[in-house]
Amino acid sequence: MKESLMDILACPLDKEPLDLSATDTESNDDDTEVLAGELTCTECGTVYPIEDGIPNLLPPDMRE
Amino acid sequence: MSNPRERLEHEQVYQPAEDSQLLATTVTDRISPTDRVLEIGTGSGYVASQIVEKTGATVVATDINPHACRSAADKQIEVVRTDIADAIKGQFDVVVCNPPYLPTDPDDEFDDWMEYALSGGPDGRALVNPLLEELPRLLTDDGRAYLLVSTLTGIDAITERAAEFDLLVETIAEEPVPFETLTVLKITQKH
Repeated sequence: MKESLMDILACPLDKEPLDLSATDTESNDDDTEVLAGELTCTECGTVYPIEDGIPNLLPPDMRE
Repeated sequence: MSNPRERLEHEQVYQPAEDSQLLATTVTDRISPTDRVLEIGTGSGYVASQIVEKTGATVVATDINPHACRSAADKQIEVVRTDIADAIKGQFDVVVCNPPYLPTDPDDEFDDWMEYALSGGPDGRALVNPLLEELPRLLTDDGRAYLLVSTLTGIDAITERAAEFDLLVETIAEEPVPFETLTVLKITQKH
């Protein structure tokens, strides 16, 4: 995911903003590509993984 | 289908068919390069990549199926794994969706991701109805949604349901196929 995608992402449980913590990134000309990391809800604290560049914003009970 | 990943994708991700093509050709004529586009339930990523290629618009896609997310990401589509648009905020000029729309016997449902991509529940509208409810918050004032459904889904019922959320429904493309007519609906907000 591009770092700029953060502008349109929210916690699926309470629609509050997310904090990005990237562990692996790749710099492009205009944007940073986040390959791995975590998104944490600033309100409820739920943590969502970013794996292989794809943010998984399913609530924990909906993940397999 | 030479490697295991491709095989898995074909078994678990809905592949582009007549419906995807009708939706893609209908929407690409109606999207401008400056439009912000959200595709809900992108599946293989075919429609999203057609929009990017033919219009140059910025597209973000969602899917609940991890294999579909992978397939779309491989086509260079920005994809978010979420249910409908649960994790998406902000407003879009265009929302595009080819939801599961076939009426399905509950006993046959949700055994795997492919079934999930096809099954619209007993009346075909199990995913269409929650989507309609989300549209007012996802669309800009002049935004429009393009929804691919079928005569089997019950177009009148969709129109009635949409009116509950102050949405107007118009049929803009149709294609007869065996047993049903594929239909693209344009949905806008009443002003």
